[in-house]
Amino acid sequence: MRTDELIERLARDARPVRPLAAPPLRAALWLAIALPFMVAMVLVISPRADLVEQLGSSRYLLEQFAALATAVAAAVAAFAAVVPGIDRRLIWLPAVPGAAWVASLGLGCVRDWLALGAEGLRVTPDPECLFYIAMIGSVPAVAMVVMLRRGAPVAPRLALFLAALAAAAVGSFGLRLFHTEDAGLMVLIWQFGSVALLAALGGLVGGRLLNWRHRLD
Amino acid sequence: MDGPDQPGQDGDGRQQAQPDRLAGLMQAGQAGDGAAYRTLLAELATLMRRVVRRRAPYLSPEDVEDLVQDILLSLHLARASYDPSRPFMPWIVAIARNRIADQARRFGRRAALDLEFGAQAETFDAFEANNHADKVVDFLAVRDALAGLSPSERAAVRLLRLRQLTLAEASAESGTSVTALKVAMHRATRRLRSLLRGSDDADR
Repeated sequence: MRTDELIERLARDARPVRPLAAPPLRAALWLAIALPFMVAMVLVISPRADLVEQLGSSRYLLEQFAALATAVAAAVAAFAAVVPGIDRRLIWLPAVPGAAWVASLGLGCVRDWLALGAEGLRVTPDPECLFYIAMIGSVPAVAMVVMLRRGAPVAPRLALFLAALAAAAVGSFGLRLFHTEDAGLMVLIWQFGSVALLAALGGLVGGRLLNWRHRLD
Repeated sequence: MDGPDQPGQDGDGRQQAQPDRLAGLMQAGQAGDGAAYRTLLAELATLMRRVVRRRAPYLSPEDVEDLVQDILLSLHLARASYDPSRPFMPWIVAIARNRIADQARRFGRRAALDLEFGAQAETFDAFEANNHADKVVDFLAVRDALAGLSPSERAAVRLLRLRQLTLAEASAESGTSVTALKVAMHRATRRLRSLLRGSDDADR
């Protein structure tokens, strides 16, 4: 096809489109889907018996706050990643809360070690963390992919990595509302490890879920 | 992409005003104004042809036109992602860059096929680092360098590196002993390294 023919066709096809909202607004909309789903899952599974007690623990609150902040920042960054030409610094937004999250968990390990010695750093298998995080993160992840597909797939792997990070961080936040596992190293390995694994998987499938082709079909 | 690659921002007053005008046309296009959208696409086709020729000077005129059409089509598909409160040029340039990078990857794959048939080397203008087109240029530099190897060294590179055969498979296929292949590969690596370093220096 000649270029002027293509232009003619595209111009004829130019139905009005509503410009996408700014990434923080889209992230807020996504949270309005993700958080209620997470809460519903926690209620179905039933919250941990010592939740009220945990809410008085600054360590628990800090770790949970960092997880949630990572989810929010990763969501903003994911929506920014599908806007061509946007300030690339937005992509790095989750780095700060993410680092704070890892640091808070690392600090927990040190405290456990100081309080309990080697016993405080015991690692036992807890693979259901991955299952629960994936389950709680599933609907948020699907919602995110649907929303991301309205943008431009200029950095699909990055966008999907950030999307999976956001969804898994919500999953991890929810998990700690019902799962009574607070040992620093256990949380770091099984919970944060699951989040990292899911985010990496998101990055791997990014090109398949977000590409220019899906729009031509 | 900064500076000189941003068309319309490096010229006189008339050109300075162009990005704002294009942003206006884009907004009208988003609102469903077909005429404004047609004008926008036609002007962008001209601009993008220039950008593509500059960024990917190795493409044939047909490939340039394909790429320009790919950029226009991508713009059309992604037009909801343009935020009218933001400048237009960085948005379209990011899309163009993405499409050029994809095209460079496809071109790289095609060049790999050509290499198998010993295609002639091509020459290129030096251009900005840090993009996929650069990888293609690196690749073509390797192709040039391969021409400087002896036939046995080239065969070793082709079997062991490009086709990724094991030493045993390569030996069976070429009828050369494993030791001879190892020696040829070792020599080829050393030779390529010095040839590539040489061409790199010559670029500067």
